Amino acid sequence: MTLPMLSGELHVITAGTEVLGEALDAQAVPRVTVDWRPPLPGTEDDLARVLADPRRAAANDRAVGRLTSARPQLVAVRPAHEVLDLPPGTFLHAGPPITWERASGPMRGALIGATLLEGLAADEEEAAARLAAGAVRLEPCHHHRTVGPMAGVVSRSMWMFEVRDAEYGGTAYCSLNEGLGKVLRYGAYGPEVIGRLRWMGEVLGPVLRAALELTGPLDLRALIAQALQMGDELHNRNRAATSLLVRELAPAVVEAAPGRAAEVLRFAGGNDHFFLNPGMAACKVSADAARDVPGSTLVVAMARNGTDFGVQVSGLGDRWFTGPAGVPDGLYLGAYGPADANPDIGDSTITETAGLGGFAMAAAPAIVRFVGGDVSEAVAATRSMYEITLAEHPAYQIPGLGFRGTPVGVDVTLVARTGLLPTVNTGIAGRVAGTGQVGAGLVSPPASAFTAALAALAEAVPVA
Amino acid sequence: MGGRDGRAAEHDVAAVTGVTGEHDDVMAATGVTGEGGPVDVVQIRTGTYHDSVSLMRVSQVLSGLPGVKAAVVAMATELNRGIAAELGFALPGSGPADLLVALRADDEDAAGRAAAELDRLLAGLAVRTAGRAAADHPPRTVRAALRETAGVTGAGGVSRADGTYRETAGASAAGGVSGADGTREEATGTGEALTGDAAGTGSAALALVSVPGPHAFAEALDAVEAGLPVMIFSDNMPVEQEVLLKRRAEQTGSLVMGPDCGTAVVGGAGLGFANVLRPGPVGIVAASGTGAQQVACLLDLAGVGVSHILGVGGRDLSAEVGGLSTLRALDALDADPATRLIALVSKPPAPEVAEAVREAVDKLATPVVTVLLGSGEDLTSAAESVLRALGTEPPAWPSWPAIPTGETSPGETRDTGEAAPGGFPDAGEAIPGGIPDSGEAVPGGIPDAGEAASGGILDAGSRPGLPSGPASLRGIYSGGTLCAEARLVAGSGEFTDYGDDAYTRGRAHPMIDPALRLEALAAVPRGDVALLDVVLGHGADPDPAARLAPAIAAAVARGVPVVVALVGSAGDPQGLPAQAEALRAAGADVFASNALAARHAARLAGFRSVR
Amino acid sequence: MTVGTRPRTQRVPARAPARTHATGAASTALRRTLESSRRPARVLAAFPAGVYLEVRADLEPHVIAVVTGEATRLPNAMVVGDPIPRVSVGADASVGDGVIEIGSLSLRAHRWWDPAPPLGPADPVRLAQALPVMTELCDRSPKRPGLEGNGAAGLLTEGCAEASLLRGIMAAEQLVGLGPGLTPSGDDMLAGLLVALRHLGTATGTGRAVWLADWLAAAVTFDARGRTTPISATLLHCAARGEASGEVLAVLRGLAGRQSLEPALHRLLQLGHTSGADLAWGLRIGLSSVLDLRDGGGEPGGGGRGRA
Repeated sequence: MTLPMLSGELHVITAGTEVLGEALDAQAVPRVTVDWRPPLPGTEDDLARVLADPRRAAANDRAVGRLTSARPQLVAVRPAHEVLDLPPGTFLHAGPPITWERASGPMRGALIGATLLEGLAADEEEAAARLAAGAVRLEPCHHHRTVGPMAGVVSRSMWMFEVRDAEYGGTAYCSLNEGLGKVLRYGAYGPEVIGRLRWMGEVLGPVLRAALELTGPLDLRALIAQALQMGDELHNRNRAATSLLVRELAPAVVEAAPGRAAEVLRFAGGNDHFFLNPGMAACKVSADAARDVPGSTLVVAMARNGTDFGVQVSGLGDRWFTGPAGVPDGLYLGAYGPADANPDIGDSTITETAGLGGFAMAAAPAIVRFVGGDVSEAVAATRSMYEITLAEHPAYQIPGLGFRGTPVGVDVTLVARTGLLPTVNTGIAGRVAGTGQVGAGLVSPPASAFTAALAALAEAVPVA
Repeated sequence: MGGRDGRAAEHDVAAVTGVTGEHDDVMAATGVTGEGGPVDVVQIRTGTYHDSVSLMRVSQVLSGLPGVKAAVVAMATELNRGIAAELGFALPGSGPADLLVALRADDEDAAGRAAAELDRLLAGLAVRTAGRAAADHPPRTVRAALRETAGVTGAGGVSRADGTYRETAGASAAGGVSGADGTREEATGTGEALTGDAAGTGSAALALVSVPGPHAFAEALDAVEAGLPVMIFSDNMPVEQEVLLKRRAEQTGSLVMGPDCGTAVVGGAGLGFANVLRPGPVGIVAASGTGAQQVACLLDLAGVGVSHILGVGGRDLSAEVGGLSTLRALDALDADPATRLIALVSKPPAPEVAEAVREAVDKLATPVVTVLLGSGEDLTSAAESVLRALGTEPPAWPSWPAIPTGETSPGETRDTGEAAPGGFPDAGEAIPGGIPDSGEAVPGGIPDAGEAASGGILDAGSRPGLPSGPASLRGIYSGGTLCAEARLVAGSGEFTDYGDDAYTRGRAHPMIDPALRLEALAAVPRGDVALLDVVLGHGADPDPAARLAPAIAAAVARGVPVVVALVGSAGDPQGLPAQAEALRAAGADVFASNALAARHAARLAGFRSVR
Repeated sequence: MTVGTRPRTQRVPARAPARTHATGAASTALRRTLESSRRPARVLAAFPAGVYLEVRADLEPHVIAVVTGEATRLPNAMVVGDPIPRVSVGADASVGDGVIEIGSLSLRAHRWWDPAPPLGPADPVRLAQALPVMTELCDRSPKRPGLEGNGAAGLLTEGCAEASLLRGIMAAEQLVGLGPGLTPSGDDMLAGLLVALRHLGTATGTGRAVWLADWLAAAVTFDARGRTTPISATLLHCAARGEASGEVLAVLRGLAGRQSLEPALHRLLQLGHTSGADLAWGLRIGLSSVLDLRDGGGEPGGGGRGRA
């Protein structure tokens, strides 16, 4: 066996006692110093067990390899009842499982809105009463290959983006984006909200479906890669991606529905977040490709329901590990302030799960002030995420970092070791049902979700 | 030379000699034209890359200078060459990886100013690129540190060909969005020393982990999984983690040194507690840090260098660990061209492990001297065996007898060599080669301490004011193996290893902080003999004698003879001669050999059963 | 911090400036010079990443390079971790008693490294396969040797291919000091050749190659100090003993199959303006010569590998 260090010029990585490092400095031995700190409290034994799991390294390679090599394509737009196992009286919602009793204002508002949309109640009071009585079955989007932004409520008549992974064959869904302001996903359910949803079901969805039939599948991986280089981070800024999408679809929209083309394109092009939803589905289908690899400590879902923040881990199947959702720190619209903010909500953290959003902040200098920081903080945020991720995305690159791939694939053990929690960019929903969006900012997930997942991973380690 | 591109001391340093003008190092071609009229300066610089946007800014600044008519500073792509050609510049040949500079100025002065400004701007770009990665965000795990140096140390630690470049164009994935000039960023050197330097020089990395024991596993595993050798200085690591790391290292081609590995030397670089050793033919595999230090220092004093010291951790040769690292280290040294002889220094291994090691040793092409403490050998005789195996006759090991009270100037020491044949050489000559051969009569080269004692000056009985009758010997040690060796050699006495886990929890190692040992020395009762080790080298107390000497003087003054084993090399930062002088001036008898020190101390204590 | 910029006339300052102590890693080639008694020296050249000192002594190396880790680790170098303070050419310095003093800076070695580490046994078959690879890589590189097409360079190639000591020495004598710069191309070629002959000769047990290295070394070092720059003369003396920079040693290891050749060669070729290419050319001539000598070549007209 040959050891290269015996004949090359030695470089040393030092972790720990600085005096040992200084002795190397005195010998002019080049070194990189690890700024080591103790792991999250109480994780010591679980870490040791999980790290020692002989399956871990290969499992993580496989899982993150699938996550980063998935090739999401937008293939169709279809009504939810056609594609999802969604019997009447069942709604999907964002985040880990939740009951009406524990649901926050915006979640309740969106559920009320969906109840009205589906004609299950005549008015707000009746809807709330039915929901409180348990007349509607609530299930997480994530249990149905689906993701939804903010409240993420999906009901039968809503139309969905269908994204297929050309590499591994998975499929994922996400609703159509309603725009900003008073919208269902922020818990608004007024007549204009319901009216818009009906228009989306009657006009927008069918026209997009027809257009996509003309264009054929759209390569979302390439589109996202381009958008990153155009200043999007694909969670809170989707302006470039939306433009690229509209550019791809516009001729086909005109061809498919000349009479409706103008209103459809005006709606899609006028909403800077229109791409958020197909982007989320692209992230979901990629993350799903990484699921169920025994021994893997890779996070395959991060999601919030407005009350809890939950994570799922590749090696632990569909189990959720939750902690209390935090209130985002950011900027507020108009006269709103932190007191109006609801705790963190939505499945849009699937973007961070797949290496976008807060993880790609360095790509989006235009919005750094919006989420409360300057460009150097954005770069720092992205850089720190390399600490807790397993890979750098081969296609999603950040020009400002020398086209380095975005940090992708959160590893539960690295979160515990470094104490660094995923950086999440998010919109802020009003606390009171029906308020809508009140701001946008950054939020940190609860450490307890990750330590709970770590403990479960430790239990799952086979006894040698 | 390096002034402009940040790298320096290259061979061609025309700037200094002025032979070919000051840009010689970066320019393949330079042309200056124009008489009286406008002046054109055209340069092709090789080995420099900057992104197109940065260069456009540079061009813009230069164009704005007074007296400058046109400036093109760009990578010499066909497009950019075309632009310069349209402006009427005469261009020499170049490749797309070269930097093209084309300046047109009103006169020579303006051209000179523009050229100077260009250098300043380009230097600024280089600094910006270099500083970006390294400084602000230190990695938080060994894994992240590895990633920072990615492409350098990859599996096996050998730099890979593809590690030299980082593709910067996003073209492949982004469907047409790409770095416009399809460039690649060369990772050679300016700032990221690890990345750059490693590309071609076969440099290799090692992780040195000294975080608290319960956390060492994670950091060490990062290294092992990346195929990187790791030295685990930390102690208190559960044995099952040690076994796991070492098994994993077998799969990844890495080596685990430790845990509780205090000493390693890799190609002359000392890690942990290590001495400044000259490079040489002897490779040491050490299950004991201080044991290896003693052997290596004696070899160095004898003028024989050491290629590497690979520590394996005190538990490696136990039945549980099975010598996994020892076997790998032996293999690695066997394959190392610089190592002509291997010394294996350890406490006696578990019997089944001993058998495996013996078999492995037999298969090696390199001769091995095995030193198992406690099986009748000591470290000094081991060093002597190594020297003989290399055909070198062991010298008499340096020693520095105490300067008796009242005689303070070391320079005026009486010639003890005469007074005590076979005793101590004059301190001034305590250098290998210059020492009177005191050991010639003794097989194994160890001077007979008995003779020294019978010579009078060091005989305990002859020391004024000491009680007669057998005394007790107190071994107050910082090095575990040195302590064990002294106990074996002396035969009896009370020996304490203050470097043991039991004494180091929550405090610095006694090689750094002598407080506990000073207390112990102060507690030695009159009439007993104190025996201490003082270990020099990297990581150790920068001036151990400063605090020990007064305590020694106090002990001697109250009737406690003090003997010191001074383990160090001539090159150690503390200065071996200066430390020896300070200790002997305080009244201690000082020996470079721990075995000789122990033997001497035992004689002073009046033991009969000294080995 | 400024070092050594005071006017040279003011030899003894009224108050000694505060000394700055630093440590580094020294080539064992410097050990004798460093450990002998203190000798005066002067700053021969100064760059941001290095200072060359000329020691007033007969022993070699009489030029010492004090460099930071980013610079090429020349065989006569003391490598320091911290940036080197500014110092002007001609400033006073001293070397000896274990210390290098430049102005108010005192440097001591806390590590010693071997500038001529043994290469270990090398398989001649592998070396023979490496030669065309190296030739192709060098030919493809935009970095060209300084003496391409020069008659003396051609003569050296031929002389070595034929193991003709006479022609080799004739060529070598023409090449010493030939070319511009601090290390003229001719010297770099010769240094590469000497190092390759010695290391590859030893590694393959080709006694004739080592013998040739000895004779060529004696010829080029005999009056090198009078014929080329001081730094280049010292580097020739180092090369005569097989001592070389890390970049050159890495290429030798690459040829022997102990690390990958291509990145090592790439790195070497980047050195200086032509230095790297010159050294690489010398290495190729040496490698080719070793192979020829093993094949029993050496008779006039018998050399088969003149293509290096």
